[in-house]
Amino acid sequence: MSAPTIGVSLRPERAYAAVVHGATAVPVEPVAPARTDADGVIAAAVAAARRLAPGGADAVTVDIAPVLLDTLLRPESDIPPVAVVRIVPRAATDPVLARSPAEVVERRVAGRWTVAGGHDLLGNELIPLDRAALAEVTASLAATGIRHVAVVAAGSQAKPAHEREVADAVQAAVPGARISVASDYGGQGLTAREATVVLDCALTALAERLLDRCERTLARLPGDVRLRVARGDGGYSTPSRIRVTPVMAFGATDALELCGAAHLAGLDDCRVLLRRDGQDVAGEVRHRLAVVRLADQPRLGTELVVPTAALTPQPRQSSRGADVPLVLAENPDLLACVGAAIARPASWLDEVAFIESADELERVRRDVEERATAMVMANGAAPGTTHIAETSTVAVPYSPSGTVRIRVRVAGAPDDALAAG
Amino acid sequence: MSGGAGYLGAMASISAEDVPALYEGAKFYSPAVGDAGRSSVTSWLAGLLERNGPVPLMRVESVAPDTQCIAVCVLGSGSAMADLPPAGDEFVLAVRQIERLQKVTFGAVYPLAAATISALVPVVTAAQLGVPLIDADGMGRTFALIHHTAMHLAGVSPTPLAAVGPTGESVLVEVLSGPRADRMLRANVDTVGGWAALAAYPINAGTLRRAALPGTMSRITNVGRVLLETTDPEALVTRLGAITGCRRIARGRIAELEHLSRQNDVTIPAHPSSLVVEETGGLGRQLRIELRSEIVAVFADGALIAGAPDLMCLLDVSRGALATLDSLEPGDLVDVLVTPADAVWYSPEGMEMVGLSSHGIPLEHPRRR
Repeated sequence: MSAPTIGVSLRPERAYAAVVHGATAVPVEPVAPARTDADGVIAAAVAAARRLAPGGADAVTVDIAPVLLDTLLRPESDIPPVAVVRIVPRAATDPVLARSPAEVVERRVAGRWTVAGGHDLLGNELIPLDRAALAEVTASLAATGIRHVAVVAAGSQAKPAHEREVADAVQAAVPGARISVASDYGGQGLTAREATVVLDCALTALAERLLDRCERTLARLPGDVRLRVARGDGGYSTPSRIRVTPVMAFGATDALELCGAAHLAGLDDCRVLLRRDGQDVAGEVRHRLAVVRLADQPRLGTELVVPTAALTPQPRQSSRGADVPLVLAENPDLLACVGAAIARPASWLDEVAFIESADELERVRRDVEERATAMVMANGAAPGTTHIAETSTVAVPYSPSGTVRIRVRVAGAPDDALAAG
Repeated sequence: MSGGAGYLGAMASISAEDVPALYEGAKFYSPAVGDAGRSSVTSWLAGLLERNGPVPLMRVESVAPDTQCIAVCVLGSGSAMADLPPAGDEFVLAVRQIERLQKVTFGAVYPLAAATISALVPVVTAAQLGVPLIDADGMGRTFALIHHTAMHLAGVSPTPLAAVGPTGESVLVEVLSGPRADRMLRANVDTVGGWAALAAYPINAGTLRRAALPGTMSRITNVGRVLLETTDPEALVTRLGAITGCRRIARGRIAELEHLSRQNDVTIPAHPSSLVVEETGGLGRQLRIELRSEIVAVFADGALIAGAPDLMCLLDVSRGALATLDSLEPGDLVDVLVTPADAVWYSPEGMEMVGLSSHGIPLEHPRRR
């Protein structure tokens, strides 16, 4: 049997943990006077794992999403102000179009600038970048003292040239600035892409603090226990990746609870009924992965380009999706920890491409799959264990013939699985 | 949609509270594009309606016959519009171009297609211009080309027309033939960013009475309310059936997505693709669903069971929400719904323009057997 794994869920009020060893999942309760914060719970979980197996655990996967969300939703929380530079052909003429439709996002924005430029979805330049305006923007931005800057350009997921030039200019004008660029995330929709980089900037310092603390705790404990961080899609990534893209950890709890419930029920495919805000909601697990989508984040009021579990209101007596078993989830804190403990490294790509033949479609699809596979390796997958978990290619409606949207999800086995035999 | 008793469209108005229902209903009548641009467009429209007040929604019969009316819609891709949102003045600029050319002032706006984002932008335009919106449109759903309208069948020209892109650049088209107007526009739309604000079919209300499809804006709002009320697929299909005539023809899991699955005609946007759905109950049939921006035909074990101009859409059973065609995934459990289109589309002229043969499927329509 492989080594035990530990899942930790950091909630605003306290932390929870569980140790999973084969089919066994053991909730961890720190013994008084041990603390119920991250340090105390991680220490108790590592000790519990050593009691289950002599070698103890190889890794701890931590879900930091509840703390990220709680901090974002509290207006008074200590989050750095963010400047937004939007690169589009023309500045918005309507004040609503000039801002994020999500109050939670806009609350973090201390200043906005528009620089003329941008590309279309296929990477064709719409207008040249306005370098004179860029010089004025960087000077103005430097004078504000804002040090967290989100940059988003139309079409940058296909051609990031304008976005990179703006980011370089900001870096030169504001040394030490923490800059987040939308092309690092891909995805569709300027509003969602902008919200993603704003939150990315806003959450950097908090994610850094949380992960530093977890790593310090693990360093003090016996054994060589690695830290992993749960992602919104229910997979995991490395702390170094999440430090530079903290928004990837956003919304992980839903997917972890779904996978945790399926694991405890011994099912690879099922529907899971969870409770959210006093309401029954359902999500799905297919092939041991939570079904995720790019959907509106109800508590944020906007979409992000980070996929998260798709939850839908569903009464308990409903027979919806009756061709798969329904699991009634209880004890969400435990489920999130179990889901984190069994999480696998994962990646997701969502791109638009232009194809003129079936051969070219195959080549483009293979290219996306190879890049997603490289990403999952960087996220901690063991060599030779990756597989394409989901892939879909759809024609983009009302676009020129040959325009396709390709989405690929790749999962792998933890890099310690092979070593453990 | 606020209004008095009786016919919903009469003397009614569209307010900010109606925007969510309007959006959802508009998606039912063209479930092609996902929600990447939703929050941006709906908050823009809601903001305008809050600032400028509700937009009056009028039956075309209640508008003076000599009132000059103009149709607006989004031309091009919703995905492109999501990634390059409007600056905000594109639709008004397009209308103003036609006003300058024709030396008229438009007294009302109507939707070219009361479906998808194209159902929302006429409300935006009416709010910005301070004129009423007419409760009628040219398609009653979405078809691929700008001359696929009831107005075109009634002999009304789409031109002069103006298209303004998010770059601020514009194109003015004056041609005699509707099909040529569409071909001239497409290349320009790609150049200005993949979508453009279109103002077309300038006519007076008297002509519009005999040429447009009435009540379609009220209809999408009612459909949207149903879609927002519940996510239970059984209740949804029943309630939608009661107000649209739609019915479920199968439920199954998506097994496969195929591309370039039929001969390509580059004059129509998007290439042909196909969807294979394995029926989970009933007869256990294998469905083949042919796509081209919208669903154009459904075959069950090789037999045609629904086809354009029927409105065909997929309901994601797990989520109890419409499945948009740009976000389908193998493994999704879907209900296949079929809704009859407006009667004009089943006429010989309508069938020739938007029926199965226009998509390279030369089979007799199931409703004619």
